[in-house]
Amino acid sequence: MSNYIPTIGIEVHVELNTNTKIFSNSTNGYGMSANTLVNEIDLGYPGTLPLLNQEVLNIGIKACHVLHCKIRHEMHFDRKNYFYPDNPKNYQITQSRTPIGYDGYVEVDVDGVKKKIEIEEIHIEEDTCKSAHRKNVTLLDFNRAGVPLLEIVTKPCMTSGVEAMKYIEKLREVLLYASISDCKIEEGSMRCDCNVSIRKNKDDPFGTKVEVKNIGSISSVGVSVDREIERQAALYDKGESFKEQTRRFDSKLNDTVLMRVKETGNDYRYFPEPDIPYIHLTDSYIENVLSSISMLPDERREKYKQLGMSTVNIEKIISNKSLSDFLNSFLTSNIDMQIASNLLLGDISSYLNKTNKSICETKLTYDKFIDLVQKSSHRELTSKNIKEMLVDILESDKDIVTLMKEAGISNITDEKEVLRLILKVIENNGESVSSYLEGHDRAFKYLMGQVMKESGGKIDPLVASTILKRELDKK
Amino acid sequence: MNNKLSREEVLHVAELAKVRIKEDELEKYQIDLGKIFNDIAKIDDVSGYDDAIIISPFHEDARLRDDEEVEEVLVSDILKNVPCHSGNYIEVPVVINE
Repeated sequence: MSNYIPTIGIEVHVELNTNTKIFSNSTNGYGMSANTLVNEIDLGYPGTLPLLNQEVLNIGIKACHVLHCKIRHEMHFDRKNYFYPDNPKNYQITQSRTPIGYDGYVEVDVDGVKKKIEIEEIHIEEDTCKSAHRKNVTLLDFNRAGVPLLEIVTKPCMTSGVEAMKYIEKLREVLLYASISDCKIEEGSMRCDCNVSIRKNKDDPFGTKVEVKNIGSISSVGVSVDREIERQAALYDKGESFKEQTRRFDSKLNDTVLMRVKETGNDYRYFPEPDIPYIHLTDSYIENVLSSISMLPDERREKYKQLGMSTVNIEKIISNKSLSDFLNSFLTSNIDMQIASNLLLGDISSYLNKTNKSICETKLTYDKFIDLVQKSSHRELTSKNIKEMLVDILESDKDIVTLMKEAGISNITDEKEVLRLILKVIENNGESVSSYLEGHDRAFKYLMGQVMKESGGKIDPLVASTILKRELDKK
Repeated sequence: MNNKLSREEVLHVAELAKVRIKEDELEKYQIDLGKIFNDIAKIDDVSGYDDAIIISPFHEDARLRDDEEVEEVLVSDILKNVPCHSGNYIEVPVVINE
């Protein structure tokens, strides 16, 4: 890396999980035919008036809370004036002077070191329509116009691509768990704009700022920031300067590409939105909204750790909210959480991926899962058994005991009986035992095969292997 | 306060308003806009001025809407109101090439 000090600030826009748009009651949806989720308000017809969707306000309050921001109790909206066909009103309704949240942070872990990424402000605003530029015309789809957004702005407090990437990862995780947004970067419901500048010394003023847009994935956040830092450093090293500009990240080139140079600052002439009166939030209103937030990822990590789950499993479970929500129903049920998470992350996840289902769409009930985990920890069910019964477990209404009976599964769990079978195998296979004792691993595999054959496959292989090894090592 | 706007200020305002001003009109706008700005600036002198009045002169909270869908306008009706369209898309001239 270069001898410069990078400074990075990030603006993130997330589309909110609401049924309808921010100021109109047309559907907030994605992937529909153009201009089918639109009404007169979204199109900015003269005479229409905006009416704020209460759920947007509630989600804004939740976002402030989970991002440790102060919540403004009195706020209003502002008009941001600009001329462009993506907004036929010629202004965007946003919050400039009284953002709903301010002074928050997201804590990230970069190489074992914790750092608070400071959030300056959170604004509620409306999205614009989607423009597709053709050779001589621009095509407009207003389905996105009026979709509620939160704009989350950090202070210029990050210093590397890794930090920027970790911030976006953590922000996405928290927003997903608080049901604020689905945060699909590839579908545009989470958009990141990174402001990057570099300077030689800590006491120097900030260098010329470059805004990097069009970042299509979390990993691209890190790459685009690092590439931009390198590009600016190379220019300064050659004694060159550059103007403030907007660049986009090109994933094929793996580099930033110039979009436009900012000749002059934007002149948006903000003024208060006169069509929406003040919004007053009382403490009891805020409290009521916050009572519906489910357990956040860091608290889940802590709980899972206390219940004996491995770090690897914790992170895998946290990365899949529906699995984590499912597992959270068992936090006080005294089941082995490592086995429970193994089951969810192994065969069950494979089945869900294959069938494109979520766990709540299966017939895996609370009682059935407890039974499954317990039978698995008591060795009454082997992983092979579970694999064979999996479709029935997930798709039938029958309980585990019935399914085991139907499959003819009655595993030998009595350790004395297991030991008797193993000793019999050892006695009948003297040559293989000698071969094992001489250090041949294949002999052990052969003996294990004999044990499984002798038991009719009714011993848990892990238990059989442990006891067989123990008995052989006594020789 | 200065009664007259500079040439640059008038040209900037004209650009934001998307209007073209002829050279011989500039002087007139420098004076006229200066007078308007001076009048607006008098608001600052009002004692007890409250920002909230600008947002709403009534002591009334914003009304909030339930998050419930109502059927949208038919796309065929939307397209009747636009000069050009391509399929379901509304077609407009290119403003900025990106």
